[in-house]
Amino acid sequence: MSEEVQRYGGGGGGVGALSLDLLGQVLDRVREPRDRKACRLVSRAFARAEAAHRRALRVLRREPLPRLLRTFPALERLDLSACASLDDASLAAALAGADLAGIRRVCLARANGVGWRGLDALVAACPKLEAVDLSHCVGAGDREVAAVAAATGLRELSLEKCLGVTDMGLAKVVVGCPKLEKLSLKWCREISDIGIDLLSKKCPELRSLDISYLKVGNESLRSISSLEKLEELAMVCCSCIDDDGLELLSKGSNSLQSVDVSRSDHVTSQGLASLIDGHNFLQKLNAADCLHEMGQRFLTNLAKLKETLTVLRLDGLEVSASVLQAIGEGCNNLVEISLSKCNGVTDEGISSLVARCSHLRVIDLTCCHLLTDNALDSIAENCKMVECLRLESCSSISEKGLEQIAICCPNLKEIDLTDCRVNDAALQHLAKCSELLILKLGLCSSVSDKGLAFISSNCGKLIELDLYRCTSVTNDALAALANGCKKIKMLNLCYCNKITDSGLGHLGSLEELTNLELRCLVRITGIGISSVAIGCKNLIELDLKRCYSIDDAGLWALARYALNLRQLTISYCQVTGLGLCHLLSSLRCLQDVKMVHLSWVSIEGFEMALRAACGRLKKLKMLSGLKSVLSPELLQLLQAFGCRIRWVNKPLVYKD
Amino acid sequence: MESGLGRSSETSLKASSSMASNTSRNTDLDQQGGHFNSMDQSCFARPSQSFPAFSPLFGVQSSSLYLPDDNEAKIGNQFEPNPSLNNPTVDWDPQVMLSNLSFLEQKIKQVKDIVQSMSSRESQVAGGSSEVQAKQQLVTADLTCIIIQLISTAGSLLPSMKNPLLSSNPAVRHLSNTLGSPMAFGSSCNQRPSSNNDATIPDITKTPDYEELMNSLNSTTQGESDELMKCQNPCGGEGSEPIPMEDHDVKESDDGGEGENLPPGSYVVLQLEKEEILAPHTHFCLICGKGFKRDANLRMHMRGHGDEYKTPAALAKPSKDSSSEPAPVTRYSCPYVGCKRNKEHRKFQPLKTILCVKNHYKRSHCDKSYTCSRCNTKKFSVIADLKTHEKHCGRDKWLCSCGTTFSRKDKLFGHVALFQGHTPALPMDDVKVTGASEQSQDSEAMNNMVGSIVYNFPGSSSDDIPNLDMKMADDTRYFSPLCIDPCFGGLDDFTRPGFDISENPFSFLPSGSCSFEQQNGDS
Repeated sequence: MSEEVQRYGGGGGGVGALSLDLLGQVLDRVREPRDRKACRLVSRAFARAEAAHRRALRVLRREPLPRLLRTFPALERLDLSACASLDDASLAAALAGADLAGIRRVCLARANGVGWRGLDALVAACPKLEAVDLSHCVGAGDREVAAVAAATGLRELSLEKCLGVTDMGLAKVVVGCPKLEKLSLKWCREISDIGIDLLSKKCPELRSLDISYLKVGNESLRSISSLEKLEELAMVCCSCIDDDGLELLSKGSNSLQSVDVSRSDHVTSQGLASLIDGHNFLQKLNAADCLHEMGQRFLTNLAKLKETLTVLRLDGLEVSASVLQAIGEGCNNLVEISLSKCNGVTDEGISSLVARCSHLRVIDLTCCHLLTDNALDSIAENCKMVECLRLESCSSISEKGLEQIAICCPNLKEIDLTDCRVNDAALQHLAKCSELLILKLGLCSSVSDKGLAFISSNCGKLIELDLYRCTSVTNDALAALANGCKKIKMLNLCYCNKITDSGLGHLGSLEELTNLELRCLVRITGIGISSVAIGCKNLIELDLKRCYSIDDAGLWALARYALNLRQLTISYCQVTGLGLCHLLSSLRCLQDVKMVHLSWVSIEGFEMALRAACGRLKKLKMLSGLKSVLSPELLQLLQAFGCRIRWVNKPLVYKD
Repeated sequence: MESGLGRSSETSLKASSSMASNTSRNTDLDQQGGHFNSMDQSCFARPSQSFPAFSPLFGVQSSSLYLPDDNEAKIGNQFEPNPSLNNPTVDWDPQVMLSNLSFLEQKIKQVKDIVQSMSSRESQVAGGSSEVQAKQQLVTADLTCIIIQLISTAGSLLPSMKNPLLSSNPAVRHLSNTLGSPMAFGSSCNQRPSSNNDATIPDITKTPDYEELMNSLNSTTQGESDELMKCQNPCGGEGSEPIPMEDHDVKESDDGGEGENLPPGSYVVLQLEKEEILAPHTHFCLICGKGFKRDANLRMHMRGHGDEYKTPAALAKPSKDSSSEPAPVTRYSCPYVGCKRNKEHRKFQPLKTILCVKNHYKRSHCDKSYTCSRCNTKKFSVIADLKTHEKHCGRDKWLCSCGTTFSRKDKLFGHVALFQGHTPALPMDDVKVTGASEQSQDSEAMNNMVGSIVYNFPGSSSDDIPNLDMKMADDTRYFSPLCIDPCFGGLDDFTRPGFDISENPFSFLPSGSCSFEQQNGDS
């Protein structure tokens, strides 16, 4: 399809005759961003059509932002989360020259450089703003939130990990944005019961609320229970909340559909049982790592949710076969169940669970060590729709069980076989699952090129492959993958130490590759990195830790070609200050660099390199020894731009 | 020690054990006896209110005591207001003095009659112990009345004393304290009409063991008197809560009496005088006159006056009978005429306890003489209020957008929840407003903000950079290394993007943060 459009657009005249509207319709049907890019590059008509029709924009660099905003006047969604070195001044400047009347959603996640003045300008420029995402802006505090609160029509707001936000900021938001429907306060540790109380009084429209990791107590749940439209409530790791709070919550209107109490360690099954009493249309219940035992009342109440409950997570709970049977009989409509790290999960339990739950699509059995092929057999037999199967550390399963799965579950999209000691025969069976997107084979040292060849030949849709410590894998496997699995975005080859530069040469043909981990591949050199950097244009994250043979040549190649690189680990590499300087000053998108034990780089090298990238870096990992020798002025500057530095102190040990 | 005593008495009150509220009874009686005059006043001023409460008492009294040997006239007489007694606090007046003395004389005669009748009856019939007891009780009461009246009369001789009873004569106070005779008797004798002019002072007050005598009398008649009180206040069942100790350390948030809807007439109204309210002490040593806030402290003090006060009996808390009934429902009136708490007020709302009266009077009708030493603006008339304020004074002020300040965040949030459109004001909001309105003039202020707000160095605590100087960021030169550092000119063009759009001063922060401010204001 894309090639067709490209060819057609390449003709020029024909396309230009069509109206912008029609071209817009065509563009709407071009799914892949790369193809759309190709269209607008080869045809002015398409470029105009896209300019008039484009609704969403994700900006990667700050420099073109003003021009882009002027070019696309119909924008509704603006994503600035990856926009390197965005700060108040550049944001305000870009906004000043553009017509942003249509913008409804803005994502500023991790935009540490943007403060309240930038947000002020943003809110003033976008009168129709409905959703703002400030998650992980760790420097954001009450002033920033107060600036956002000026957007009176706001319906969605994420303040996840805005560490400086207190009750005051929250009060600003709830008073300023009474139409709020979705709010995440995750990790805003300064917010207390008082703030939550005001929230529930002022925002009656709230449908989704996340108070995970807050220090709020049961009083908050009392306030929250007055929210009549609340459907989704997440309270992960709220250790001040207990059964009494859930009891209070159950008194509210019967509107909740999704509750997450995972890791709230004072919640017991009694509390959940009373919660179900009050909210009997629950669809999702996440009680991972919070329950210690399965109360009988909870089990009986779960059965009351027979019609509605689709997602149930009970990670870390001691479950017996009878409990699983009861769940299976009580909750027929389960689509997802998670029993990760549950003690006592046996083949018998799984077979009685799946016997009644034929709609299961996601089954997480991570670390259920007792399971054998029999469990897989019963899953294959009953759950034909299964899409995701997580079997990490289920070391007793073998290729026989997986064969059943592969035969009976053609929809399988994700399977995690980390540490399952599967072999090439198992991969041969799995290759029947042509829909497979994610395959994790970490620590399966018996997996070899042969097995991966089966996968490569059949699983063309694969986007993620984890071969962590699959030490038998060689360059041939990479050649096969590069041939068969062109869509791979994430590839983990850590410690596959038979891989050399020629293997990386094959990887160069994976154009979609975004994340590549090559930790401890001691044989690869700058040549291999060059071919990856040249071929994989979309590379965002690269891990080269302990690739001892990598030198400045590799960095030069990255600096020259890996223009989208955002996250880089070059710890223990034999690079010099010059290479580092060049790398950091060239890569405009680079935000996160881990550079521990770069013993060939001088202090001046670090100093200059960091100064060069000062405005862009958001996260650094360096040896703590450098803290005292780098100039304090530089460190202050880095912090002023929102960069967080993690100082580590560990001895230099060469591992193989 | 003090608080311990207070607390124990309180708990015993609650448990209504045999010890129940002896201290409180003492204070109660002390209040009643002490405010004897005002009591009278209230009786006469509001007959409709006080008489229904009192007349049944007299019914009982007369039928059991006076009928055998005495006339009906007395009973009738009680309802006649006595003009001389109506106004006991007026300045010294020979006429008043005369009537007082004649009253005393008559009173003593009465007592004599009763004692005589008792002795004659004793010789005739041995039985009827209850009758004897009742008579003893009456004698006790009458004697108390006499003593009080006597001292009151003597006190009024001193020209400076407006209210001789409490403030001038500690002995009376203590006397009434120790006597513990029920209020009703005192008032009943006070209402007797006076006809005789001979003033005889009973020498019984001078005997040293008078108090012991009184105590013994008191203890024998206690049960009886309580029974009488019960009759006196038939409708006081629900309001029979024990009256807390006067010097209890509880701080009354409001002046009490609010919210309880006692029907008028179901309680006794007492009105203390201004001097009584403001008197610092309520327990006085009979011997040296030293005042105390607590009876327990007085008892401790009394040890110094002789061995007789060191006996366990004297030191022990005077105990109350287990069979004792609750005191009559008593409410208080503020002496300030026109105050809603004054009984003359149309919508009179009585005060619940003495402490309420004290706090109310000081708060509403006295100068605020205690000034907070921290803010030097807030003034209080009750020292406890000052102490409460000082606990919070100088703390963070919680400010609402409407300008109201709160000492506590939850109060602010309650306010914000109540009023539409109000929001909490962030500390820097005012600066922001000035920055927006007068951009260039306030560039100095804005520069400060650049330092203090925008670049607030979020990680400074974890990365412990020593002495991170915020002023550094004020200085625009501070940013210069980023922009004009020559080392990187050749290596890369990373600064160029900034210049690319340099037609807009926004893009280039170091060109002066104040210029950004101006632009911001314009846009």
